[in-house]
Amino acid sequence: MFFLMLRQSFVKGWRRKVLATATIVLAASLITALMNISIDVGDKMSKEMKSYGANINLVPKSENISLEIGGVDYNPLEGQILIDEKQLPKIKEIFWANNIVGYAPFLKVNAEIAGSAKGVALVGTNFDKPVQIAGDEEFRIGVRVINPYWQVSGEWPADDEQNAILAGAQLAKERNLKAGDRIVLRLAAGGEQSFTVKGILSSGGSEESALVAPLAVVQRLAALEGKVQSVSVSALTVPEDKLSRKARRSSEALDSLEYDRWYCTAYVSSITHQIEEAIPNIAARPIWQVAASEGAVINKIQLLMIVVTIAAFIASGLGISSLMVTTIMERAKEIGLTKALGAADREVYLLFLSEAALVGVIGGLLGCLVGAGLSQVIGLSIFGSLISFNWVVIPVNVAISVLIALAGSLMPSRLITRLYPAEVLHGRR
Amino acid sequence: MADVKGGGMTRGRMFLLVLFKSLKIRKNRVSITFFSIMIGASVITALSSVYFDISAKMSRELRAYGANFFIGPKVTSQSRTTEAGIMKQAVGLVPADKLIGASPYIYGVVRLDLGNAVLAGVDFPGLRKLSPYWQVEGKWISVDFDEESCMIGKTLAKNMELKVGDSVNVIRTDTGFQKSLVIKGIAETGQAEDEQIFVNLSLAGQILGQQGQVNHAMLSIVTEGTDIDAVAKRMEASFPGLDAKPIRKVSHSDGRILDKIKGLMAIVAVIILTVTTLCVMTTLIAIVSERTREIGLMKALGADDRDIVRQFLSETLTIGVAGVAAGMLLGFLLAQVLGQAVFGSFISFRMAVLPVTLVPSIAASLLAAALPVRMAVRVVPAQVLKEE
Repeated sequence: MFFLMLRQSFVKGWRRKVLATATIVLAASLITALMNISIDVGDKMSKEMKSYGANINLVPKSENISLEIGGVDYNPLEGQILIDEKQLPKIKEIFWANNIVGYAPFLKVNAEIAGSAKGVALVGTNFDKPVQIAGDEEFRIGVRVINPYWQVSGEWPADDEQNAILAGAQLAKERNLKAGDRIVLRLAAGGEQSFTVKGILSSGGSEESALVAPLAVVQRLAALEGKVQSVSVSALTVPEDKLSRKARRSSEALDSLEYDRWYCTAYVSSITHQIEEAIPNIAARPIWQVAASEGAVINKIQLLMIVVTIAAFIASGLGISSLMVTTIMERAKEIGLTKALGAADREVYLLFLSEAALVGVIGGLLGCLVGAGLSQVIGLSIFGSLISFNWVVIPVNVAISVLIALAGSLMPSRLITRLYPAEVLHGRR
Repeated sequence: MADVKGGGMTRGRMFLLVLFKSLKIRKNRVSITFFSIMIGASVITALSSVYFDISAKMSRELRAYGANFFIGPKVTSQSRTTEAGIMKQAVGLVPADKLIGASPYIYGVVRLDLGNAVLAGVDFPGLRKLSPYWQVEGKWISVDFDEESCMIGKTLAKNMELKVGDSVNVIRTDTGFQKSLVIKGIAETGQAEDEQIFVNLSLAGQILGQQGQVNHAMLSIVTEGTDIDAVAKRMEASFPGLDAKPIRKVSHSDGRILDKIKGLMAIVAVIILTVTTLCVMTTLIAIVSERTREIGLMKALGADDRDIVRQFLSETLTIGVAGVAAGMLLGFLLAQVLGQAVFGSFISFRMAVLPVTLVPSIAASLLAAALPVRMAVRVVPAQVLKEE
């Protein structure tokens, strides 16, 4: 009898049910899409934040203190320790290898432009160079990968060019250099070579008052083959929290469980720790300007999305309940009749609630589908990549849809069962 | 003539009477309609308010990245320093509510107990606001007249075996300056600052023998888009001896991130707007379509189709306008809750929110009422009244 009534209610009142399901689908898809995005927005924005540049700096482990002011080194260190370029691909072999976006090695030497006694810094680096790394054929390193804000008016030199060089914007203004000019460089170490200025570099950093050439050329000129001075690494990290701060104060303070958790989380501190493990004799330092600020901003965006999701959630919940109220209220007559025919209140409740649950499940599932599509549309149009679908969203969403439908039905069912059959049937209520 | 006029009067009165009765008797339905329109409108108001304010709010958050503006002496001038007073005036050109923090810098090499180091003179209260990302062990120097303390970089501290609370001798041979300073804090940034020692500007002037001089200044300015270039132009026009420019690394990235966040918020707001509008519509459709019998009765009593449609639309419009008005108030409150929860500040009200909320809410309500009524008026009265 109960199932007959349930079926009848869906067959006879299909319009009503379609409307109810449609509303739940809409609300559920909204919640699915927003939940998906809130979960993934941290990762996505973290990738965007990479436009602020590298967040880890590798330097040789040494006791020397540099005395550099405004790009001029007051203590040009003789025979300083350098990093072996061959060691660098090991950065891509650490536990969090997939979080390493790229790196760029640097070698800085003092040089003189022929015809001027004033010294100038010559920086050697990779621009955009493919590197062989086990299990990853397409890994590219260089400043164009990790510093997307570097701008060149003119052309970028290729990494294997011998005579190409970039002039920093500030230096170009000082020495009157243009793209296409030829200059002869003389190094303190004795090397001499002529170069063509390929472009003028604006970086907003100390490179603006320097000359930038491919790494291999600078290494050859300075007779430092295979050596680099520092390496900038761009890594995807998670915001700092209590655990990472504790680890930073001293890693001995962690017990083994905490240590494992710290080691297996992509904190900037655990990534630098792993790089130091992989490459001997270097010090990996987080650049806090990027590492700390990124966390602060991403936390804000995540919070914003969560709060918006909650607001949308409450609104769609209220929307569904108000629809449930109408669909039940209009059935007063039918209920009056069932009650007059001897149905107990309990049975009326059961009917309404199972109807609501059914509508909730169907609507919730459909909503998940639509919402998944919706979140991909958002991901593609904003971040140009797909949002990873989190399976947690489905059960949560269906449960929420059913709960809201039930909650929305409870109040009107109570109202309606309280009515007197005679009154309802007479049409007075 | 009089007949027509009288007929019009009656009709008008009848219209109002039906409208009034319908609102009064069907309290349940009216309140549900009102309620769902109000919820829809409040969500739309809240989200669009947040959207219009998001770049102002987020650009303030992005100042966590520190300085985005640089002022120094012109490259062409031979001097590497500028008068501190001129620098202060230049910084003063930035509107106070846009300036998060600013600090002048002066550099020089000094001798410490165990070796040489770069000494930087700064304005500590300004620096602290300028560089919130500094990881400081110990304390910041909190006032700009403290001439007994210093802060040092982490690498320098390690190499010179110094800890917070220790004293360090600062010696400069060419000025004959020598003083013992207490280390208040050890700073870590991962950049050049790790190898420097920081003191207040006035003290640095005495140490280096360059009182009242600064090398350059760094500023952190709230900016939405390209207005930072205008600041640079204005500054260079007023102070021809100065080179003022945004720091590309930061300002370029700020712009990109802001665009992403704005885009994300816009698309989320549009989706919520659409879905909420549709939700309100389904509820209204359900409410109006259950009145098919009533429509049948009206038709049987001689009302023509247009009258009925007009009747229902004005009913919905009345409730809709009230609902939207209440929804906007509620939504503005909701926006404040959002603003406080996420940014810890209030969301300002913008006129653009009004049309964005009004148009879709009212249009959706009217459409939702018109659809079922149009379907209903097409049926034959007898059929409806027989409940078939």
